[in-house]
Amino acid sequence: MITPDRTAPPLIFQYFWRFAGAVSVRTKILGIVLVLVVLLGVGITVQVRIVLQNALISRLQEQSVSIARDVAARATDLILINDLYALHQLLVETQANNPDVRYAFVVDSNGEIIAHTFGRGFPMALLMANTIAPDDHHQTVELATDEGPVWDTAVPIFNGQAGIARVGVSVDSVRATVAALTGQMLLTTVMVSAVGIAAATLLTWIVTRPILNLKQVAQAVGQGDFSQRITPWAGDEIGELAQAFNTMTAELDEAEQERQERDKLRTRLLEQVITAQEEERKRIARELHDETGQSLTSLMVRMQTMNQKCPVPELKLQIEDARRLIAQTLDNVHNLALELRPSVLDDLGLEAALQRYVQDSRRRYSLEIDLIAIGLEDRLPAPVETALYRIVQEGLTNVARHAQAHTASVLLERRNGRIRLIIEDDGKGFDPLQAASGGRLGLYGMRERAELLNGTVTIESVPGQGTSLFVEVPV
Amino acid sequence: MRYLLVCCLLILLIGLMGCTAQPATAVISLSNLEPLPVDIPTEVVPLRVAIAAVISPQGNVDSYGPLLNYLSAKLERPVKLVQRRTYAEINDLIKAGDVDMAFVCTSAYVAGAREFGMQLLAAPQVDGETVYYSVLIVPTDSPAKSIEDLRGGIFAFTDPMSNTGRNYPMHLIQKLGETPDMFFARTFYTYSHDDAIRAVANHVADGAAVDSLVYQFVLARDPELGQRTRIIHQSRPFGIPPVVVGPHVRPQLAAQLQATLIHMADDPDGQAALAAAGLDRFVPITDMVYDSVRELEQAVASTP
Repeated sequence: MITPDRTAPPLIFQYFWRFAGAVSVRTKILGIVLVLVVLLGVGITVQVRIVLQNALISRLQEQSVSIARDVAARATDLILINDLYALHQLLVETQANNPDVRYAFVVDSNGEIIAHTFGRGFPMALLMANTIAPDDHHQTVELATDEGPVWDTAVPIFNGQAGIARVGVSVDSVRATVAALTGQMLLTTVMVSAVGIAAATLLTWIVTRPILNLKQVAQAVGQGDFSQRITPWAGDEIGELAQAFNTMTAELDEAEQERQERDKLRTRLLEQVITAQEEERKRIARELHDETGQSLTSLMVRMQTMNQKCPVPELKLQIEDARRLIAQTLDNVHNLALELRPSVLDDLGLEAALQRYVQDSRRRYSLEIDLIAIGLEDRLPAPVETALYRIVQEGLTNVARHAQAHTASVLLERRNGRIRLIIEDDGKGFDPLQAASGGRLGLYGMRERAELLNGTVTIESVPGQGTSLFVEVPV
Repeated sequence: MRYLLVCCLLILLIGLMGCTAQPATAVISLSNLEPLPVDIPTEVVPLRVAIAAVISPQGNVDSYGPLLNYLSAKLERPVKLVQRRTYAEINDLIKAGDVDMAFVCTSAYVAGAREFGMQLLAAPQVDGETVYYSVLIVPTDSPAKSIEDLRGGIFAFTDPMSNTGRNYPMHLIQKLGETPDMFFARTFYTYSHDDAIRAVANHVADGAAVDSLVYQFVLARDPELGQRTRIIHQSRPFGIPPVVVGPHVRPQLAAQLQATLIHMADDPDGQAALAAAGLDRFVPITDMVYDSVRELEQAVASTP
């Protein structure tokens, strides 16, 4: 006995699911229809075949009995008056009038065959194949013959005093009828199958069309096209699904629009923040340069005068110290102003500002920095200049702080309505994915600035092999 | 789930096998035709007794069966009953010596005696008499009162050689100056008296003339036929149909047969056999009794 594996479904079902899962819904529905029609057709054919065959054979048996009794009744006088020719004619006519009768013969009371329908000679094996007592009504047996089954009926003639009449009916006609009917029913099954397949094809088309439509729309929605809607076909389950899908798509569409609105708002806000920041920096830088710088300068000039007029040497030394401190503070204020917002960016443009910044950075970070600018003869829009300046500023600050690099290069190129900025270094590099997920504010700020101008920022870096920062901005 | 499937398949298989199952018997070849075995002659020669078709062949077997069995027992030899459709055929058998003893009709005896020396053996006695009549019968619901009322009807004769069934009604018609072809719309032969009675009872014929003894005998057996037929005319008495032997029968056998028949009534077994045939006894009889039959025959034959 095979114990079925409880943990996994039987192999046959695995195969079944593998097959059933591989074919389309259309094929499944067609398969259902075909299997149903064929099973029904074959089942009914088998059933009808059995019933009909039994009914026909039973009728044939009754017919064989009635023919035999008729022959026996009509043969009685012929046997008694010894009219053997008439007896023979009776048998011949009986056979002629009943196509199912294969043979008929009469045995007299001495067991001698006195008339038969076999012509010349008689199959002697038949004689003892069916026997009957004189007081029996009839005796029917099925004989196996070389021509197929034959129902042989024996009927005593004149209570056996005149002998026995024997009639054999062949089941050939029954078999032919049953075979013809079977053929007809199978043909009908095939035809109904054909009609069923046609109907099922139509049905599957009706059923699967909205599903295919749903699939297409779902794909479109998946790709961000929320304008697509499914035309509802019917009020059935698929129709309800389509409506639910449409509702979902509409809500997604609304959510997407809200998101875009928020994005826009955020971008505007960001722009405003950046603009405000730049303006504030500019103001502070100007304030530092104009007010604080002027005050410190005049303070320094006054200290100089004081120094010249002071007679006390000790005091003169102290004044000189203070004047040097003021000069250093003035320098710091200048640097601070420059850092905040170089006026040269506003006055002379991006290239000059970068030249100056790079020069400054070389000195400050003791780093070898190249700057190449191509096609920047004309001034760029102020937001672009500011953004690119700040990106270079941030990039070089990063190189100086983290890269441990010896050299860095800045390439700025204007071509085909786009500005390309590349900042490279030969530093230790880093993993860009880690840096992105780690939420490095510097990189994030660069990206925000570029994106505000519809530009992109790409970072390529391999640990130990330096870093390349690519920025592209449309002008 | 899988066992259910297997079970379904099995049931289907068994069902299919059911329709094709063959009985396990030896196959008979219907094309293997052999010549029929030839009759092996029996050692003992049976006594061949012919009974003319006064009543139908089955009726004869029923009525005379016990009588023949009695003869067989008495003579200690098998008795074979021979029947033929017509009286003439029986006469031919007697003439050729193919039967030993015969129960014949009166006119058949008259013809046999005249043509080849048929000999009287005995005559049955019924109700104390050795005569019988020709009775003209019609269906009970028929308005006919005499033979004349049957004009234009259908008439059933029994046998072409019959005295009561043919010669007597022919004689009645001839007395009316008619021929059967002209008088009746149609006539036919039933070749036995009981069938003629049935033909009238079932309205197959409008009338028939039959042996009075047979009529009584048949009515005794089947009273319903008496309710469906009635007698409208009875002839003068004729000598009763006799038991005869052919010219070739050995005189000793003829004497033995005669003695056996005549002494039947003295034997309880014989009485039972006689009762079955509706007879009192067998009595010796002379040829003279049949002269009235000869006269009728001549009268019928001489009329054009």
